[in-house]
Amino acid sequence: MSELKKMDVLFVGAGPASLAGAIKLKQLLNEKGRDESVVVIEKADKIGQHSLSGAVFEAGVLDELIPDWKGRQDSFVTRMLANDVKRDETFFLLGQRLSFKLPEAVMPAYLRHKGDHVVSVNELAGWLAGIAEGLGVEVYTGFAAKDVVIEGDWVRGVTLGDKGLDKEGNRQPNHLPGETLEAKVTVFGEGSLGQLAERLVKEFDLGSGRNPQVYSVGAKEIIRLPQDNSFGLNRVVHTFGFPNRALTPDVFGGGSLYSVGENLVAVAIILALDWRYCDLSPQRELQVFKSHSLIKRLLEGGEVTAYGAKTIPEGGYHSVPELATNGAVIIGDAAGLTSVRKLKGLHYAIKSGIAAAEAIMRAIERQDFSGDALRTYGDLLENSFVMRDLRRARNHRQVFAKAGRAGLYVGAPLSLVQQWVPLKLGAKQDHLGMTRAKVKKRDTGGIDRLTAVGLSGTAHREDQPSHITFTDPGRCARCGHDYGCHPCTFFCPAEVYRSEGDNVILSPSNCVHCQTCRVKCPHQVIRWEIPEGGDGPRYKTM
Amino acid sequence: MNYVVLVKQVPDIKNVPREAWDWEKGTLKRSLLDNVCNELDKQAMAFALGMREEVDGKIVALTMGPPFATEVLRYALSLGADVGVLLTDRKLGGADTAATAYPLARAIAKIQQELFDGDSSFVVVSGMQSVDGDTAQVPAQIAEDLGISHAAYATSFHFENGSLQVRRITRRGSEVVAPLSYPCLVTAAEWTQPPFPSFGRTRWAQSQELHQWSAADIGADESRIGLAGSRTNVVRVFSPKEAGQKDCVFENDLEKLVKMLKETYESRLVTAEKEEEKIGYRLPPGRSPDYRGDVWVYAEQEGGELNPACFELLGKATELAAQLDEKVGAVLIGRGVGGLSSELVAYGADRVYVAEHDLLDDFLPTPYTLVLSGLVEEYRPQMLLFSATPLGRELAPRVAYRSNSGLTADCTGLDIVDFKRGDRELTAVLMQTRPALGGNVMASIVAQNSAVQMSTVRPGVMRALEPDHARKGELVEYVPKIDESDLGSTIVDSEIRPVAAEIKDAAIVVCGGGGCKTKEGFDRYIPSLAESLGGYLGQEAMVGASRVAVESGFLDRSRQIGQTGQTVRPRVYVAAGVSGAVQHLSGMQNSDIILAINKDPNARIFKVADYGIVGNLEEVVPALVRVLDSEGSDR
Repeated sequence: MSELKKMDVLFVGAGPASLAGAIKLKQLLNEKGRDESVVVIEKADKIGQHSLSGAVFEAGVLDELIPDWKGRQDSFVTRMLANDVKRDETFFLLGQRLSFKLPEAVMPAYLRHKGDHVVSVNELAGWLAGIAEGLGVEVYTGFAAKDVVIEGDWVRGVTLGDKGLDKEGNRQPNHLPGETLEAKVTVFGEGSLGQLAERLVKEFDLGSGRNPQVYSVGAKEIIRLPQDNSFGLNRVVHTFGFPNRALTPDVFGGGSLYSVGENLVAVAIILALDWRYCDLSPQRELQVFKSHSLIKRLLEGGEVTAYGAKTIPEGGYHSVPELATNGAVIIGDAAGLTSVRKLKGLHYAIKSGIAAAEAIMRAIERQDFSGDALRTYGDLLENSFVMRDLRRARNHRQVFAKAGRAGLYVGAPLSLVQQWVPLKLGAKQDHLGMTRAKVKKRDTGGIDRLTAVGLSGTAHREDQPSHITFTDPGRCARCGHDYGCHPCTFFCPAEVYRSEGDNVILSPSNCVHCQTCRVKCPHQVIRWEIPEGGDGPRYKTM
Repeated sequence: MNYVVLVKQVPDIKNVPREAWDWEKGTLKRSLLDNVCNELDKQAMAFALGMREEVDGKIVALTMGPPFATEVLRYALSLGADVGVLLTDRKLGGADTAATAYPLARAIAKIQQELFDGDSSFVVVSGMQSVDGDTAQVPAQIAEDLGISHAAYATSFHFENGSLQVRRITRRGSEVVAPLSYPCLVTAAEWTQPPFPSFGRTRWAQSQELHQWSAADIGADESRIGLAGSRTNVVRVFSPKEAGQKDCVFENDLEKLVKMLKETYESRLVTAEKEEEKIGYRLPPGRSPDYRGDVWVYAEQEGGELNPACFELLGKATELAAQLDEKVGAVLIGRGVGGLSSELVAYGADRVYVAEHDLLDDFLPTPYTLVLSGLVEEYRPQMLLFSATPLGRELAPRVAYRSNSGLTADCTGLDIVDFKRGDRELTAVLMQTRPALGGNVMASIVAQNSAVQMSTVRPGVMRALEPDHARKGELVEYVPKIDESDLGSTIVDSEIRPVAAEIKDAAIVVCGGGGCKTKEGFDRYIPSLAESLGGYLGQEAMVGASRVAVESGFLDRSRQIGQTGQTVRPRVYVAAGVSGAVQHLSGMQNSDIILAINKDPNARIFKVADYGIVGNLEEVVPALVRVLDSEGSDR
């Protein structure tokens, strides 16, 4: 049985980055007639259920991975090709009523989307997993990697989380101790805020000289519109401004509406997590966004059918750590590979998987899995569009942060010139932005947060130890006094936290695994651990 | 000893999107649902794994389904099974329970020959029922087909000198049964926390070859499988909420409210009856009914004591028989039970068939099946109703299978109808309506190619007549032809004790939520309200809690109501201080009458409630308790 826990290459997290990497690696191995084992593990119950993205996808990156993809007559490709962007609009929303459409000519090239394709990343992951398995990749879901196995200065694999512990952490009769999986190379593709990748960066000091990573949170709904809706197909709408205040737009972010299929629209807002308001709720902001007269009109008669939330690493070039060490590489969002200006990461994720696979293939051929050998991956990426783009946008988010309360009005023009700033602008951690400021009370409407949680399909075995704990519960009472509220009861997009007087009561089973809390808790006392494999949201169309 | 575990891939019914139902055809587009292993089958796997630890052997997982059902087999392998067998064939599709049991029984026979080298010492283990069909009929019918003993509702087991003994739940407590020969079949009720698949085992399972057998491979008689071999037919599927959204009646005059509640509570039963009387079936002129004969009721008794549920069946049978112009028969089986017949006559039986024998002292499925099937054969009723009790749900499937009759489980509505489908016209047949898919939908079912139309009927749904002790009836004595060799199993030990009621079966549920504020508040208001309401309506009421309340430590998790807790469908549901998050609603919205108490008039709970009281629990509940107690004592 112990042989079953050994493999040649292990990908942790079955998102687009890992799956693309596993596909590429298996293709290369198959070409050479080699049979090294390539295994992907995923904590979600089914492939794709923990992935969430906009998603306007620059599908060109697939040409490199699956050259004949357009010719495949499968339902995913057919739908993706049918969902190409034909109508691309950007609006500035001033207050709840006014909207100004920006002429296409003034939009920088990186904010144009014609020819891109709107996809559901859940479906993309499912499609990639099917291709991977067809090539001989082994994909196992419901297994959550809890820790990195490090021996000396080598990464040897991962340890899975225990299953079958009770609320107090005692072993139930069905207790299954977490197994240790050993691999020659472990690829960390856990996505945004991946905890194993974080540990790796810390243990091997891969982040020295870099900015701390900063994040945004995105909250997204899928809305079913009536048959005769005005939104139409093949259309993407981006907005900025409202729900920001008209005069001091100081929360960096924007909104989007994408047609994702017949009568289906994906609506989302993305907010940089360095906001200063202690009572800002992203889920509520999404509802407020939908109350804008333009958005309301576009979504007339719609019914929310799905909801989800996720963080996006936004630090960009200066926050990307070193990507390889002995026996391990980091790919995709876990490495912070997201286009800061476009807020797109899928094509970077896939490209990073491909580059990692090529590097690992060379390592396999030379049987040298050291960090020095695997660093080829970083070189390959450095010479690709990924790092080229990131370099160009290296100070993008920072200038918005520096603009402070003046926000958008100063930040936007600065963002256009930031690439010529020869300096590395620093970034500070998001939670440091928290103040006692309150968002101006707004009209409520739309769906409430618990209903939204229901639409995420999230579920956890409720008898396990809470995967969310406070390292210093005493701080919570003080935090409540400091801010006049418990910020976590607002910033959590899934109502995990509830105020009960001075205390905060936890509902860990509402969690959608976005980990916003870990970033935004002003006292940094929230510990978020990975719950039992198979638990968490069940996104299908996100 | 070897083991065969029956596993089934079922749709994830905690999440059925509306578009997954084909309302016209009454079928389910399973492709739109996630597939999961039936929860109770994980218990069956746990049983088999536990048994193998005591007496070593091979575990074969068997399933019947479409080709992608290999997934559930690999899952079973990952839990510890050694071999997987998939029975798959287009010809097997569309089968009801009888047409499912038959090929599975043939496959088990083939497993014995080919995988166990003919060795008959093996145990078949299955979950008690599947969440989608929810009939509990297939295992019992497999046992009937194979002519083996069946221990249903098993909760634990042990081996005594190498032979199996199983503890099972009965209506009165529990008993330990031992099969007298092998193979035998055990169906598992909730037993332990289901096992988790390990990574190593899962990886191993992926690499295993599975046996794939067709209908021809198991030598199945094609007239007994698939749609053609089925003895029941789903004719209509509808939503229980088709009646439309509820309009909550807000009433802060508690006396008035309590009276309205009681009226509705009582009229729900009466109106159901009255409406049927109004529709009152009449045979169309020039047509002759498809079935003829008496309307029978199985009069369930244990320890010489009738289960009162059979009086409800007699009430319904009286009504059906009147519409058909036939007599009502009741069947009593046991030892020294003849004396109970007068009671049955008082409740509406025209004839009582009494079968007494020393070997029938305790209920054992095999001999009881033989006797009841014999009676059916000899007197040929057109209908036979059982109570959907543990005993009824064990006996009915075997009798139905043996007498080539269609059986519908857990009915909540029975009507006589004429029915036309395609070129087939049915006259004066029994339309049986039952909740399906965990109460998400209602299905109406008629028998086809059946000797007798059989149903098990949910207790507490039909109304018994007022007993008339002056009523005269005919007594028919029947001499059972059975001997020791027919027993199949023996009862080693039995324990009579009040069964801890389960909240999902409760007639009245009072659920407290976060509005109770503290554990003291919860303890002060919720149990007292349950007790008073139960006393007032003459039914036992149980206490439940919302997730918020459980998380705050007001009650333990076994009583949590909602998506991640229990799903309840009581006749009266009281939500006290529960806001009504969707996660809660999905666990209780199919309750018959819902009363909500909340201080927020806009709380979502009022959207599904029939009656609403707006106010603080601290004020409303004590006042409500006073009114219930005084109204109750006035009677």
